Amino acid sequence: MNCINKFMKTCLVRPCGRTISTTSGLNIYFSKTEEKARSNAVVKEAERAVGYPTSFLSLRWILNDEIANIASHIRKLLGTNHPLLKTAKSLLLRNEQATWGLIVLLVSKVAGLNSSFSELECDRTADILHSQRILAEVTEMIKTSHLIHKGLVNITASTENPSDMNFGNTLALLCGDYLLSTSFIEIARLKNFYVQETMSSTLRDLSESEFIGLRGNQNQPLPSKPLAIQKQVDIPLKFGVEPFELENVLGNMKAEWILRNVLGGGSLLGKGCQSSLILANHESHVQELGYTLGRSLALAWQASLERDLIKEETFSLVSAPVMFHLEYEPSFYTEIEKGVYDYASIDYDLIRKVVSGGPGLDKTLELQDEFSAIALDVLDKFADSESKVALTNIIKSL
Amino acid sequence: MRRVFALGENPVTTVLAMASIGSGRLCARVQEKLCQWGQYTRREAYSCVRTKIGSQTAPRVPQERQNEKHSQSLAATAASTVSAGCWHPCSRPEIAGTARSFSTMRTQQPGSLPEYQIDPYHLLEDDLKDVYIYIRDALRRGTYQDDLYEIATYYFDGHGKAIRPMVAILMARAINYHIYKEKSGLLSSQREVAMISEMIHTASLVHDDVIDQSDFRRGKPSVNVMWNHKKVTMAGDFILAVASIMIARLRNNDVTLVLSQVVTDLVQGEFMQLGSKETENERFAHYLTKTYRKTASLIANSVKSVTMLAGADEQLADVSYQYGRNLGLAFQLVDDLLDFVSSSAAMGKPTAADLKLGLATAPVLFACEKYPELNPMIMRRFQEPGDVERAFDLVHKSRGLEQTQYLAKQHCQEAVRLANLLEESPYQKGLIVAADYVLNRMK
Repeated sequence: MNCINKFMKTCLVRPCGRTISTTSGLNIYFSKTEEKARSNAVVKEAERAVGYPTSFLSLRWILNDEIANIASHIRKLLGTNHPLLKTAKSLLLRNEQATWGLIVLLVSKVAGLNSSFSELECDRTADILHSQRILAEVTEMIKTSHLIHKGLVNITASTENPSDMNFGNTLALLCGDYLLSTSFIEIARLKNFYVQETMSSTLRDLSESEFIGLRGNQNQPLPSKPLAIQKQVDIPLKFGVEPFELENVLGNMKAEWILRNVLGGGSLLGKGCQSSLILANHESHVQELGYTLGRSLALAWQASLERDLIKEETFSLVSAPVMFHLEYEPSFYTEIEKGVYDYASIDYDLIRKVVSGGPGLDKTLELQDEFSAIALDVLDKFADSESKVALTNIIKSL
Repeated sequence: MRRVFALGENPVTTVLAMASIGSGRLCARVQEKLCQWGQYTRREAYSCVRTKIGSQTAPRVPQERQNEKHSQSLAATAASTVSAGCWHPCSRPEIAGTARSFSTMRTQQPGSLPEYQIDPYHLLEDDLKDVYIYIRDALRRGTYQDDLYEIATYYFDGHGKAIRPMVAILMARAINYHIYKEKSGLLSSQREVAMISEMIHTASLVHDDVIDQSDFRRGKPSVNVMWNHKKVTMAGDFILAVASIMIARLRNNDVTLVLSQVVTDLVQGEFMQLGSKETENERFAHYLTKTYRKTASLIANSVKSVTMLAGADEQLADVSYQYGRNLGLAFQLVDDLLDFVSSSAAMGKPTAADLKLGLATAPVLFACEKYPELNPMIMRRFQEPGDVERAFDLVHKSRGLEQTQYLAKQHCQEAVRLANLLEESPYQKGLIVAADYVLNRMK
């Protein structure tokens, strides 16, 4: 059963991936390749701890008829430049990075089962309940579905190849919906109302994330105009199903970033972990720890990604370095504002240069450290174990 | 809606007056039933009196003198409600055209009241009005963002046909009466299911509009034209998410499973539409499965859910499910038929839409028998210039439309047969009338 996975991994793993040790003694060369390889090793250790590789392309998916059917439709898009192709490719080749499913499984294992669970009534492998594994998969599915739905193209009079784009949109919509409907059925089969409510609210939060703030013509997010006086606004931890309030958030650059990313992912990972702990019958204060851990980890991860992505040709204008720079130099907003009228006129090179020259990158690192610290702090409250070490390593290697 | 009738002192007379029936024609059992209904239905018994759906005939002159005045005012008020601008699906006498010749279906049952017709929309007026208010409320509580709320509630303005909540609530009340007799109030959980089914339906409509790039639906510019595709897709997801939270709050595992299955069926139905089959036989089976998944599944499973919530046993739940399934199939068949016969203004969306999207629906599939040249057109999904027009013509020339109507009628009759397994009540009668309405609607 694992042969297909092994095959895929051998095709994709870099030659040095397996030989670098995870102990800190060998950190002499700090090249990017080795850093990446080290984090791959961390992920593999973690995957071993939870019983099997959790990449999106696990056997279950390959053998699924529906996916094969969908794949054949997606093939028709080859040659077009619909975003769905890029998304599909990045999903298939993502074997080396830690996935959110993996995080949910690790958190499940770290917290263990509540004492009220009897040995006999649970169905588990490697100390993780079958229901928790399903939840991990559901978390991945919802995340992927949102990613796919974000990959639609707004077709206007000036769009090239509108019928290809429309076909791509159709597929993207249906794939996303397929993943969502499968998630709902799986969640329903868990027969736990709190989990159902909680996970449904993550979809609500994800859909809200696409509406916040100013948008370009392809719904690309743009920062709001920085307020003259920046306030420290707290984005509360929401364990239930209530939506987030927007008052006082837009314009306060740090708070805006946090809200955007909580809605866009923090809530999903947080509530995924929280739900997993619900399934293990943990008390609410433990569930809340799961939420905090997941949410902070997602935010730290995002900050770390954005520090790298600003070096790319194009990058998100609401990424942390840009937001912090606007906080520091509000007058720079005029450059960004151009995107409101015509997103194509954005001068990425200029923005990259200015932001790199300012405090943006450093502050982003601070932000990442802030959330990593919260995550590690919460993690510390749990008993020591192999999976706790694995999770700690993942957080530290961001 | 303003009070149409004045309540007389004696409920029996009032009900008889409303029914416009001479008492001599009623048997004792029915009279007793009328008595009971008069007592508890109160405002709900403000059923609009109509002699035959789909046509205007002169009101019957009742034998009792005291009813005469009532019935004349009834005719006047019935006529005025038609012209009052409130759209009522049952009263479309002014629409001419080929569709009218398809419009009669007798719903006489042995032992039933020959002229007493129930109008489900009036019967459930309060319930239905509340459904949209509650849905908008639930969506409002789901977000603080105004533009998301605006897109999401765009279709919940009460202008749609509201078939799904109507059927769900009818079935709920009919089943409640069947099991509990007089204590047949609507459970709030059943009302929630009606709302959820409408929300799931709307979410799928919103997503369909992105795919179909449709310009208008229900007489309004469709959501796409006003906002962009991505926002609209997310709004659809939002509606689905809120519906999902509501399903969880029902705290009923079986209902949750049943309703979650609906969403999967909807998606799979859409996928089926992307592909096509080779042989004629396969095609029809494919079409029926697709139709079940896209339309009938939601209706069937929502009536099954309300039945389960009433505490019914499996057998009764199955009766509802089959009723819903047959009704849903008939609904879609008529929809496909109307795409060929009605004009744009009446439908609220442009016609021959299915052909233009490359879809071969029942009329076309039936027409293939007589005109095999339709086969290659179907295979290439009517892409070549002139295909759509030619196919449209051929369908009209063939017996495709008749055959589709016949099939829809079969399903309606089956639905009626199932509804008759339930205890008689205005709501149970309403289920029968609903089947009739589905068959004879013009929009």
